[in-house]
Amino acid sequence: MINITKYIIPAVVFASVAFSSCKKEDFEVATELDPNAAPTALYLTNANKAQIKQLGTGLQGVVRSAFLDFGRVTGTVGREIIYSASTDNRYFTELLGTNVAQYGGTAAGANDPAGIFNTYYAAYSQTRRRAEQFIIAVNNTNSISAAEKNAVIGFSKTIQAYVTLNLANMQGKNGIRESFTDLFSPGDLLKPGKFGTYATALAVCKKYADDGLAALNAAGTTAFPFAINSGYGSFNNPAEFKKFNRAIAARIAMYQMDWPGMSAALAASFLDLSGNLKAGPSFIFSTAPNDITNGLFHVPNSSGAPYVVFNEFIAGAEAGDTRVFGSAAKVGVRTSPRQSGAFTSTHESRLYASNTTSAPIIKNEELILMYAEANVQLGGVTNIANAVSAINTIRISNGLLGYTGAITAPALIDEILKQRSYSLFFEGHRWFDMRRYNRLNQILPQGTIGGNNFVVFEAMSRPDAEVQWDIANP
Amino acid sequence: MKQKMKKLAVFMICAVLLGSVPTLVFAQRDITGRVTDVEKDKPLEGATVFENISKNSTVTGRDGSFSLRVATNAKTVTVSYVGYGTMTVPITGSELVVKLSEDFSKLSEVVVTGLATSIKRSNLANSVGTINAKQLTGSTRPVTLDGAMQGKISGAQISANSGAPGGGFSVRLRGVSSINQNSEPLYIIDGVYASNAQNATGAGTGPFSGATGQTSGTQDQAPNRLADLNPADIENIEILKGPSAAAIYGTRANAGVIIITTKKGKAGRTSISLSQDIGTVKALNLIGMHKTPWDAQKIADGSWLVSNAAMLALFNANGAGAQTTDYEKIAYGNTGFHTNTKLSISGGTDKAKMYAAVGRLSETGIQKRTGYSRSSVRVNVDFKPTTWWDLGVATNYLNSNSDRSFSGNDNNGVSLGYNLAYLPNWLDQKPVNGIYPANPLTGQNPLEIIDKGINNERVNRIISSFTSTIYLLRKEKQSLKFNIQGGIDYVHQQNVVVMPEDVQFQQQRANPGAARFSSTRSTNTNFQGFLVYNTEIKKFNLTTSLGATRLDQNNRVQWFQGEGIPAGTNNPRTGLVQLSFLDNGRLHEEGLVAQQEVNWDDKIIATGAIRRDRSTLNVDKNKFYNFPKASLALNLANFDFWKIKAVNLFKLRAAYGETGNSATYGSVFNSLATAAIGGSTGFVTPTSIGNPTIAPERASEFEFGLDANFLDSRITFEGTVYNKKVKDFIDVFNLSPGTGVNSFTAFNVGDFTNKGIELALGGTVIKKTNLRWNTNINWYNNRTKITRMIIPEKPVAASGFGAFGTQRQRVGFSPTAWYGSPNVNGSPTIYEDAQPKWQASWSNNISFAKNFEFAFLFHHSHKNFNSSLNQELTDEGGTSPDWSTKNSAGVPLGLARQLGQPGVTTRQFIQDATFTKLREVSLYYTIPKSVYTKSSAFKAIEQVRVGVSAQNVFVITNYYGYDPEGANFGNRPTIAPVDLLSFPAARRMYFHFNVNF
Repeated sequence: MINITKYIIPAVVFASVAFSSCKKEDFEVATELDPNAAPTALYLTNANKAQIKQLGTGLQGVVRSAFLDFGRVTGTVGREIIYSASTDNRYFTELLGTNVAQYGGTAAGANDPAGIFNTYYAAYSQTRRRAEQFIIAVNNTNSISAAEKNAVIGFSKTIQAYVTLNLANMQGKNGIRESFTDLFSPGDLLKPGKFGTYATALAVCKKYADDGLAALNAAGTTAFPFAINSGYGSFNNPAEFKKFNRAIAARIAMYQMDWPGMSAALAASFLDLSGNLKAGPSFIFSTAPNDITNGLFHVPNSSGAPYVVFNEFIAGAEAGDTRVFGSAAKVGVRTSPRQSGAFTSTHESRLYASNTTSAPIIKNEELILMYAEANVQLGGVTNIANAVSAINTIRISNGLLGYTGAITAPALIDEILKQRSYSLFFEGHRWFDMRRYNRLNQILPQGTIGGNNFVVFEAMSRPDAEVQWDIANP
Repeated sequence: MKQKMKKLAVFMICAVLLGSVPTLVFAQRDITGRVTDVEKDKPLEGATVFENISKNSTVTGRDGSFSLRVATNAKTVTVSYVGYGTMTVPITGSELVVKLSEDFSKLSEVVVTGLATSIKRSNLANSVGTINAKQLTGSTRPVTLDGAMQGKISGAQISANSGAPGGGFSVRLRGVSSINQNSEPLYIIDGVYASNAQNATGAGTGPFSGATGQTSGTQDQAPNRLADLNPADIENIEILKGPSAAAIYGTRANAGVIIITTKKGKAGRTSISLSQDIGTVKALNLIGMHKTPWDAQKIADGSWLVSNAAMLALFNANGAGAQTTDYEKIAYGNTGFHTNTKLSISGGTDKAKMYAAVGRLSETGIQKRTGYSRSSVRVNVDFKPTTWWDLGVATNYLNSNSDRSFSGNDNNGVSLGYNLAYLPNWLDQKPVNGIYPANPLTGQNPLEIIDKGINNERVNRIISSFTSTIYLLRKEKQSLKFNIQGGIDYVHQQNVVVMPEDVQFQQQRANPGAARFSSTRSTNTNFQGFLVYNTEIKKFNLTTSLGATRLDQNNRVQWFQGEGIPAGTNNPRTGLVQLSFLDNGRLHEEGLVAQQEVNWDDKIIATGAIRRDRSTLNVDKNKFYNFPKASLALNLANFDFWKIKAVNLFKLRAAYGETGNSATYGSVFNSLATAAIGGSTGFVTPTSIGNPTIAPERASEFEFGLDANFLDSRITFEGTVYNKKVKDFIDVFNLSPGTGVNSFTAFNVGDFTNKGIELALGGTVIKKTNLRWNTNINWYNNRTKITRMIIPEKPVAASGFGAFGTQRQRVGFSPTAWYGSPNVNGSPTIYEDAQPKWQASWSNNISFAKNFEFAFLFHHSHKNFNSSLNQELTDEGGTSPDWSTKNSAGVPLGLARQLGQPGVTTRQFIQDATFTKLREVSLYYTIPKSVYTKSSAFKAIEQVRVGVSAQNVFVITNYYGYDPEGANFGNRPTIAPVDLLSFPAARRMYFHFNVNF
């Protein structure tokens, strides 16, 4: 027989030892809180003033998160620059349209939907959501006044208008997901809004801008309840910030081809026909921890991964154009030409002096050119005269003589597009400008070069993650 | 405080228990005898002789003799010796002579299967792989454990993620265990849950090679920490390959368990062993990229990093090809020197045994200024103060130092593989008076990186364990023991990565001169207590175990980085831009175990067990998850009806078990991200959010097998089939990115299966006194298939680069298969699988002419495919040997094959990496004693052995690149061998000298 007592006594003793190691308080030695970051929930309900301030700073920080990718992609597709990465030729093959056939032709897509050129898509969508969550945070707290809440809403909506426009332009005819539902419900993320058209996407952008204006009006003379960075210069209070809001609204109206709306928005913006062309809010950069640097800067004559310029851009410039020639030019001659696959470049971008040089979000020079364009499109003798005058402002400021071409709408639009391409070089405009005038076929170089067929995209492919999501969630 | 209290309580209870142990008194008598090898008739020193009634034991002396006090009524003694079959013999005659035979079939080998119990191999219901010291390091001397295991475990795919010295490796047991979570096996060293972490070094970040962004270290090619271990200290490795064998380890065992037992002291005469290896290290294979001829026509045909005109001008300025340099040979042609010294002392009595070893290994690499060294000190002590108490302490201190240079993915022209591919042999890059000519093509002179870049790692590590077994009850037919085991693994890893400011590519950065100093500290502690009750009722042997385990982990990663560091210093604090980082991690887990084993006369052996685990990695940290197991082995040859004499073992076995794998640390958190601008810091909501419903992924496995031994185990066969299902595998749940949230960090999203076959055939082909040839063939395969997924199809995270091939998660297909262009109806084309169709290994050991021993090991991997960029890189750079050969259309191959050329799709990059490697070959000679015992000065010498051996002797493959096993991202859960001219594998040749006193 088994000696039961000798077995059971130690067993009981042992079991009590073993299980005592599972006492509740002991188990709580390990915490549920993230030891490395602050919990989200703390900020979205009953946020205090300091927390609102941090969310405001955070939002200003992430508006720039797509800056590098957006600039690089639009600059390349619009044949302004090539990111001549010595170790990754996709920047001058796939992005210049060599692989269009492999991804279903221009009708379905352009670039590899699962490839590396989708960073902007997630980044802009994230900023759009984060701005929305900033609004939710202020609506869920009593720590700031109603006017301050409106200031936050006005700021956030304006940011949403800016990033959503960039997103809509990149996706073009593919459209964007237009709505959020209730951000607080956990299931919400599983029910994203449907894709609309380019036109409806622009309407969403317009609504953001207009709602932003209304909130900024309601904010009155109160200050923003967060520190606004120096890149916004004098646009650092709701009253002045409205002028930035209207500048973005004018840009949206331009893509909507709503010329009267564009004129009205410009009138309320910081447009100054005789003012500093560079005036306007800008993105600032620094090397401080958690901040970002200006990724579109590169050391002159670098052979690592310089931003080189298409020779067509140089060749198309008029003699004496200070934007292209001379010491203050946006481009410079490389000590040795750079080869990027099929393309040789003699020049490279010198747009930024260092990796902490600011980059304009929207500047007076663009507003003046928009003013000219709106006037041409509206027509009439006075408007046309205003347009020519505005064009001359740009030309003369950039070392050229006054406009001497035909005073017809088509000729003036040609001239405006040309001035835009030099004034707004590598700032994300040329590709979209040519698209809205159906001139993608005029973007050079394209077609068969050295055994390869280069195609200018109509729009960036809808990212694979979105395509797959819709397949799985019909 | 709480913890201390508890430990104190444990010891107090132990003390009480000890006091209550009944004193065991028997009437006793003395016997004497001798233990010898049956064939060679040589005495076996250190064999254990055990008598079961008195529980007394002793060990044999130098001449094999022993004397033992046994119970008066004792009828038998049991004699065991490592590597020999255990025998229970009747006590007869005045002197008992026991002749043991070598156990090549390993039938009586004891295998640790439970947390506190073990079982004879012949009764095992699972296929458990074992590698003993002789197989591990007895032939040649691989520097790290991965090399020592390669080709020796059926069902395993072991890949190095860099051939660089001290480089990391990954082990996949029975296919894929997870898609996106930890998929490395659990390593247990003498009971310690050992860290196998792969800690980022920063070598892949922007300021250095630029493979990843500014701070993330996912492409640093860091080694994992198991590389620290000294293979020479290992006595035995057991591999529990799947959940059916590893269920008892619960939520840590989804990818299998590798149990490492280090060498222990043997009772008897103090023996001292000194061994010295010296050897050379050379690249196994070079591409010969700088033997590729150049001419003006080629330059006109191709497309280069500079315009064709500029390239031609460069070519002419550099002598138009009149003078060439083999830079590949300069980079990788170094002959490294290897020395490995080891001194070990073993001895003691049956009451106290000790093993102590010191070792120092040092090796220089195939690339100048690379190398690896490791020092280790080990002390293992076992006490047996009374017949009912066993105590053991094992302590190991390790110190390693490696210089690995830069060989991974790259965007700065830093990684040598990349750079050499784009470097024409006529371009002058050799330094003159310390000035390195600038490279106008890639922007970086590769020789400058070799000479100036620093990528150093130092590790200090202590692995220490404690074990105590107390027999509370010990009778002839029953015993009860209380076993406690605890251990600590403390690792401190320090990394220094430096790119001086005068390096060419640094000059092109905004702030030249970069250095990162990292420090990673991790402490793992574990503790377990078990009660094991064993009883024999008639022919039934019953073992019941009950126990509890706990595991704590505490990690801290810190680094400090400076950019814009002036010449003459590496200190980041002198940098113009400074970045720092700190990350904490801690977890706590507890488990409860109950196991019942039933053995009916070695005929039917059944086991049932359950493990319950809870962990702070789960959202509900108080919830227990259950992991059951059950197994059955039928030893048909032990039944009375078995008449076939030639078949001495015929075992049918079946096993089922479940294991789990919790989500990676941090997956449950929903925390804000930091964003700064204009001198102030702010927060934004996360782009990947925690999942409040996450549960561990769970693997269940059925395993069936047939083991048969013929002619007294002269021929052995083991066959196993398994079906391992991983249910609710955890993955990032990708959301529609348009929502502004990329993903849920972790989500239980689907199921997949692994099915495989493992066959082993071994035997003694020749068995003569002066010639013995043992051979062993392993053949195994595995197929993985995703069977369910609630998320959209998507690429496997970080498994490749778009058109160069990526793995995808697609229902009905393998997650290790490659996909790429062309897209058909919006969907990428499927290509071959990264997992081999099958693998096989053939090991042989031949002893001849009394004193010679010859061994070799072949390993074949069949139809495993890599995403290889080797051809693309050398074609783009003009360095592929067949660049100028024209295709049927008259276009040079080097041009026609490039991505972007007409007709070039992903097909070009998914390459067959089938290979056959002679992994090990060795020849040893034991110098006959008569040679040196003539002189009295050498009388104390017991044995002198000399030998030569080589590792990675040759490889047969059609693969284009340095190594078909080379992979830059080999440590991904889905293996994903992406080859970007990764660091060449090394061939090592050694001379060995060993003397025992």
